[in-house]
Amino acid sequence: MRDFLIIYVNGRRHEVRGRRAFQSLSHFLRYDLGLIGTKVVCAEGDCGSCTVFVGRHEGDKLTYRTVTSCIQFLYQLDCTHIVTIEGLKYDGQLNPVQQAMVKCQGSQCGFCTPGIVVSMCAMFEKKRDVNADDLRGALVGNLCRCTGYDSIVKSGLAVDTTTLRRLDDLYPPDAIVSDLIKTAGESVRVTDQKTFFKAVTIDEAARFRAENPDCMIISGGTDVGVQMNKCLRDPRSILSLAGMQALRGIEVKDDAIVAGANATIAEMEAFTRDVLPEYSRLLYYFGSPPIKNAATIGGNVGNGSPIADSIPAIYAMNGEVELVGTSGSRRVNIHDYYTGYKKTVQKPDELIARVIIPLPKAGETLKLYKISRRKDLDISAFTAAIWMRHRGNSIDDVRIVYGGVAANILRLRQTEDFLRGQAFTLSNLQHAGKIARSEVKPISDVRGSADYRLQLGENILTKFFIDVSGTTSGNGNGWNDGNGNGNGNGHSVDPTLEGIAGEVH
Amino acid sequence: MAYVGKDIPHDSAIGHVSGESIFIDDIPPARGELLCDFVGSPAAHGKLISVDIEEAKGVAGVVAVLVAKDIPGHNKFGPVVKDERLLVDDVAEFLGAPIVLIAAENRDALREAKKRVKVEMQPLKPIFSIDDAIAAKSFLGPQRVIARGDVEKAIGSSEYTLEGALEVGGQEHFYLESQAAIVYPGEHGAVIVHSSTQHPTEVQSIVAEVIGVPFNKVTVICKRMGGGFGGKETQAAQPAAMAALVATLTKRPARIVYNKDDDMRFTGKRHPFKSWYKVGFDKSGQITALSIDHYSNGGCTVDLSLAVLERAMLHTDNAYYLPNVRITGQVCKTNLPSNTAFRGFGGPQGVANIENIIEEIAIKLGKDSLEVRRCNLYGSEEIDPQIAQIHADSEEKNLRKSAQSADEISSRLETPYGQIVQNNTLPEIFEKLPATSDYEKRRQEIEQFNRRNRWQLRGMSMTPVKFGISFTKRTLNQANALVNIYTDGTVMVSTGGTEMGQGVNTRVRQIVADELGISYDAVIMSATNTDKNNNTSPTAASSGTDLNGAAAADACGRLRNRLAEFAADFVFNDGEAGIAASAENIAFEDGMVWDKRRPDHRMTFEQLVCRAYIERVNLGERGFYATPGVDFNRETGKGHPFLYYTNGAAVSEVLIDRLTGEMKVTRVDLLMDLGNMINPGIDRGQVVGGFIQGLGWVTTEELYYAANGELMSHSPTTYKIPNVGDLPPTFNVALLDNSNNTVSLKRSKAMGEPPLLLGISVWAAVKNALSYASEGEIPKLALPSTGERILMALTSYMKERVAESA
Ligand SMILES: Cc1cc2nc3c(=O)[nH]c(=O)nc-3n(C[C@H](O)[C@H](O)[C@H](O)COP(=O)(O)OP(=O)(O)OC[C@H]3O[C@@H](n4cnc5c(N)ncnc54)[C@H](O)[C@@H]3O)c2cc1C
Ligand code: FES
Ligand code: FES
Repeated sequence: MRDFLIIYVNGRRHEVRGRRAFQSLSHFLRYDLGLIGTKVVCAEGDCGSCTVFVGRHEGDKLTYRTVTSCIQFLYQLDCTHIVTIEGLKYDGQLNPVQQAMVKCQGSQCGFCTPGIVVSMCAMFEKKRDVNADDLRGALVGNLCRCTGYDSIVKSGLAVDTTTLRRLDDLYPPDAIVSDLIKTAGESVRVTDQKTFFKAVTIDEAARFRAENPDCMIISGGTDVGVQMNKCLRDPRSILSLAGMQALRGIEVKDDAIVAGANATIAEMEAFTRDVLPEYSRLLYYFGSPPIKNAATIGGNVGNGSPIADSIPAIYAMNGEVELVGTSGSRRVNIHDYYTGYKKTVQKPDELIARVIIPLPKAGETLKLYKISRRKDLDISAFTAAIWMRHRGNSIDDVRIVYGGVAANILRLRQTEDFLRGQAFTLSNLQHAGKIARSEVKPISDVRGSADYRLQLGENILTKFFIDVSGTTSGNGNGWNDGNGNGNGNGHSVDPTLEGIAGEVH
Repeated sequence: MAYVGKDIPHDSAIGHVSGESIFIDDIPPARGELLCDFVGSPAAHGKLISVDIEEAKGVAGVVAVLVAKDIPGHNKFGPVVKDERLLVDDVAEFLGAPIVLIAAENRDALREAKKRVKVEMQPLKPIFSIDDAIAAKSFLGPQRVIARGDVEKAIGSSEYTLEGALEVGGQEHFYLESQAAIVYPGEHGAVIVHSSTQHPTEVQSIVAEVIGVPFNKVTVICKRMGGGFGGKETQAAQPAAMAALVATLTKRPARIVYNKDDDMRFTGKRHPFKSWYKVGFDKSGQITALSIDHYSNGGCTVDLSLAVLERAMLHTDNAYYLPNVRITGQVCKTNLPSNTAFRGFGGPQGVANIENIIEEIAIKLGKDSLEVRRCNLYGSEEIDPQIAQIHADSEEKNLRKSAQSADEISSRLETPYGQIVQNNTLPEIFEKLPATSDYEKRRQEIEQFNRRNRWQLRGMSMTPVKFGISFTKRTLNQANALVNIYTDGTVMVSTGGTEMGQGVNTRVRQIVADELGISYDAVIMSATNTDKNNNTSPTAASSGTDLNGAAAADACGRLRNRLAEFAADFVFNDGEAGIAASAENIAFEDGMVWDKRRPDHRMTFEQLVCRAYIERVNLGERGFYATPGVDFNRETGKGHPFLYYTNGAAVSEVLIDRLTGEMKVTRVDLLMDLGNMINPGIDRGQVVGGFIQGLGWVTTEELYYAANGELMSHSPTTYKIPNVGDLPPTFNVALLDNSNNTVSLKRSKAMGEPPLLLGISVWAAVKNALSYASEGEIPKLALPSTGERILMALTSYMKERVAESA
């Protein structure tokens, strides 16, 4: 077992010991290493000014993804290679992205700019031939208050892609990878006033958890990082799951998606693009690229927020959570998993190993909705997941799940009871909306008033009807194509209200 | 080669894109440096009973724990009225008002010490809303009036009238770099202050007063800001003064950097407004009379509220001639952090009101709002500038305008405050923009769409802006600049203009390079520094380049004349060639100097200045500029406050989901008149950036407070500024080709603030969309038009209809 962290920054190896291991990455970069190009604005992952690359070795390669360094802690980053804005020039000269940003006036005050450059470089790592939509997608996590984004998008389109070089070219991976391959399999324990443990096997993790019942589990850290930065949480002992290979991977097994708890939202979004497009579309509106690169499905379920985006679909598809502990593993139906606000049936030594989401079968439809103040990078005010099985033009079975209307994600049983067996018509769905309204008791908060949420709860069933039946006039009847892919042709924007939500704090 | 007019990259662009630009918190820590933070009032309104700092002092690493009585100078300050306290000594007037200032060697100690301060307060009744302030007569400053004609009578005899109220929300600046300062103690009580400020001179004076030294012992330096938008015009002073206090009392460097949440919670914002109006108009939609009473939420102290209110009143006409008008304004005092300058400075609130009224007139008459706007526009006749000035002067002195000059000026050119609108390009913009944006055709499509589509709504509106350029406080319309030429031919310029991304430094470099005929690269800008430029005005009111560029040009002009004389006498004076010394004939261009009569005989600028130095010619100059002819009498509400107006208009179209209230801006067409642009790339950036900031204000940016006055939307998670996804998918930005602005530097026009006001077109488009659902009724819509507000409005129409049909 190691008692220090190994972290590469811009090609240089650092060993981090003791107290220093407990600071955030942005703090380490700025104040320990003097790499002040990485800016901190919000310290909660929401502005992107602190965006950096994290390279992890996968096999004999280094795979780079962007993260918001303000909510990543050093102890999560053992055996990684961090590349910051300072490390992106080509031999001391501006790279083509930087050149384009200069030429097209992509910066004004310059405070958001390093983060923007990193995000844009990350996009070009993946893809050379980009359009404005690619750029918008890539920059969702980066706020700029000065430019209005237009000149930034134009800069991206003006990049001379022929002269782009890859990170692997700037930082030949061989030496780094051979070091990391040797060390990445080691568990790590750092003790200062606090204790941190990086587990490698499930056994180790369960044991540490049993010995430290108060320990905080950290996966991607996008929830707990914010909580710690805002002084809402100050754990004495921390268990990181980042090194556990057993929790990785996503597959389809027995007509269900089986996702390891460590699967990131980005991986989930990519994986479901073909097998469950509705879920993928929803996850597109989850956070931002750097958040999705860190955030895990296990963390979203483990955090258990009533406005978490990934969860309503798990309810609607009657999914399960697989827990592992010292005495083995068990599967719990999602409906039995939560027992109160952020409370679960998980035992002190258990952790989430997998999340299972059954796929809709022929004749079944799943629709997911996320309503938020701002379309991109926002936490939901209201979410809904509606699953329906139909026979002919009537509703054979239905599950309706709302988020943001109670302390937990809520099944609307009375509304379902009413709809079961009814004809699939606008008036039935409208009537169901009235029942739904009476079934929920939302509160008013910064994301919306109770009245607003009640109205959304009522209207979303009508919305479901028109999305599925593809009517714009409201007189449509019946199923469009039976697969839930019938988007009303009048819906020139946002044919479906993609989305779900998750509470951060 | 001329640099003015070229799209030259921002002065700091290379540093920005490589992460090498230095902001306050990027300055490496100095030996012994302390970090500062404060403990604020737990109540929005309360009397301080006791403060216990003993435990906090005992925390290891804590060096100073200070309260009001530790302040060696004055605890009172304020830009206009000295009604602010650095540290609360008696009554706290907003939640978080600093009470105890702590300085420590590290962050952990600071955090620990904050927890251990005990503050006991007796809560007093707080006031937060404009309505409550009016009820309690809780006001700041007097009520102001701008009026003309007999409004009551005119409304009484109008064919149509409408009345109502509009609530306009505030806005968080959301500059990315928080308020920050570092202070280094010097000899004999002097301090050097690095501050992220738009107004170094104000920081200087407040720091001096707080630490009790004369102004000349305080040097304030601002290299750049990570955004300002008005939020660092007055409110950068508090953190700087806190750090200065620590540095003075401990004799150690002191740094303060607000975290985002504290910055949002404890500093001022754009003023929320509530305005009650009554308007009379005829069947064509032409306004016959308007009476409007503005109330702004000033927060707990005066700050710049009176000037902000004044600008709101001066922009209530926007682009429209109001024959009979009475505009009143009153600042309300509430228990919120003092609201302050924000890009537009009251202008947006004034304009939102008149544009709302125009939309309502259109709905009432069943007309397209564009038609109503057209028939209310100011005229565009050419006016003899002299007559216009005489006219303004006579108004200013509150004399009856002479019958003669009144006749000579078409009546549709005079603003409510008596200034004559000159060179009005709005009629031209109203010709061009509807055509290029396909307005008529889209209007028809929208009407058809809304008739056919039960689940979605479209709406569109075109709103203009006529923004007055100059500070309405006459004194501030001045600037000085220092231009130093070194013997290698390079030039260092410093002005009072501060760089916050808007490009003032780039533009001044361009101007100086052209004035001296040297290359852009030979000129650099120094950090803004009160020991180079004294008594500077804030970089605000869109005037940064107009004022500081003109002052720099003045300095350059004098240097060039001096060098030309020297060159004529000592260098090119050639009796044999029959060339007598003639300074007028000396040309400066592309780094070369020559006598136009002998163009083959040239020397470099560097050679010339070297020789000039040897011959003991002064190679440095101070330039000065004071805007001519502007003045405004706030007692009478009359005068000529603006040097000129910047005009523009935008057509925005929105699509709304009737079931969820979600709204998307689908297309924007924008046309602005910026005169001859000094830097088209940077200017365009200001236009787009300003517009999107305005779009945020009118759509998603909402300040949400808990019942105790605590701001709950205090970080980007809960306060939503526009994201890249909010950039309209179709966004056409065009600039009017126009060089008629003879009164300004290089015939350019200031553009920092005006485009923000065009964001209002998006809000007006939402209102227009709702009018299709409300079926003739005038939809009431507050600003911002959040998804929630849209959905609730739509729902109310549906309910009404259900009720009607029942
Ligand atoms: C800027 C920003 C935007 C966001 N946007 C969204 C959004 O749009 N939608 C949304 O739903 N959420 C959003 N979130 C919240 C967050 O990203 C998600 O909840 C995410 O899925 C959490 O995953 P994580 O791995 O980062 O969790 P962590 O922060 O590591 O952990 C979260 C919680 O789960 C527990 N936990 C983690 N892993 C396990 C495990 N294997 N077993 C048991 N318990 C575990 C932890 O102890 C902790 O209590 C956002 C967060 C940020 C900062
Ligand atoms: S500082 Fe805002 S995302 Fe990290
Ligand atoms: S350039 Fe100022 S925030 Fe982007």
